[in-house]
Amino acid sequence: MLAGKGFEHVINMSGGIKKWDQPVAVGDVEQGLALFTGDESPLDTLVTAFSLEEGLREFYLSMIERVRRPSVKGLFAKLSDIEVLHQQRILKEYNALSGEDWTVETFGPRRAAPAMEGGLTTEEYIRMFDPDLESPADVVSLAMSIEAQAFDLYERASNRSRDDDSRKVLRRIAEEERAHMTQLGKLMAQL
Amino acid sequence: MRWKQFLTPVKSMNAQQIREFMQQHAADEFTILDVRQPEEYQQEHLPGAKLLPLPELSERLDEIDPAKPTIVY
Repeated sequence: MLAGKGFEHVINMSGGIKKWDQPVAVGDVEQGLALFTGDESPLDTLVTAFSLEEGLREFYLSMIERVRRPSVKGLFAKLSDIEVLHQQRILKEYNALSGEDWTVETFGPRRAAPAMEGGLTTEEYIRMFDPDLESPADVVSLAMSIEAQAFDLYERASNRSRDDDSRKVLRRIAEEERAHMTQLGKLMAQL
Repeated sequence: MRWKQFLTPVKSMNAQQIREFMQQHAADEFTILDVRQPEEYQQEHLPGAKLLPLPELSERLDEIDPAKPTIVY
């Protein structure tokens, strides 16, 4: 059908999603979109993105207390540090657009409603993926799934956005989430 | 008869090849199109996939860019 409608480059994924061995996203097309109505300014969009990263960072920090193995504690600490880097990147863009001079520490109290990255709560993620929290591979796999969910959310939010500049911001963040998945894939390979 | 349909190549790639294709392109350079039913999409979908169920596809094709490579599943 697509080929007959002017689509120049159609690629059929043989075997369908059953053959896909990478992280998937879950939920309907509205999942998490209460966070992005489509009318946000670029600055509002960045505040929400910062908050989502903050939620994920707090999640990883809370996990340090929940696990026993020192190596897994270290892994969660590393994952939380990575989220700080993501926050710094978002804040750099926020500061450039606003002409203000926030740091992660000063911006934190300004954050929007707490929510997990990807629009799911901590407990929802744990329930959904049911990871062995003492297994480094399971932990990284969980992190990759969260990044996949976040990428999916930002893609859907960018499609919904009615503000051209906000859409560009969301696309950039989505692309970064995709890069995070690749980084975590490399981390997994090192385990 | 839709002759163009026969003349336009539709490639088939396996999951590994699709993954490599994605790694080589920015996310806004291609479309991932999920033509399954909403319940199937809800259960699991490729991150970033656009849901256009097959029964609605012909009426909603204007929602995707025909100039970009389109990965369909």
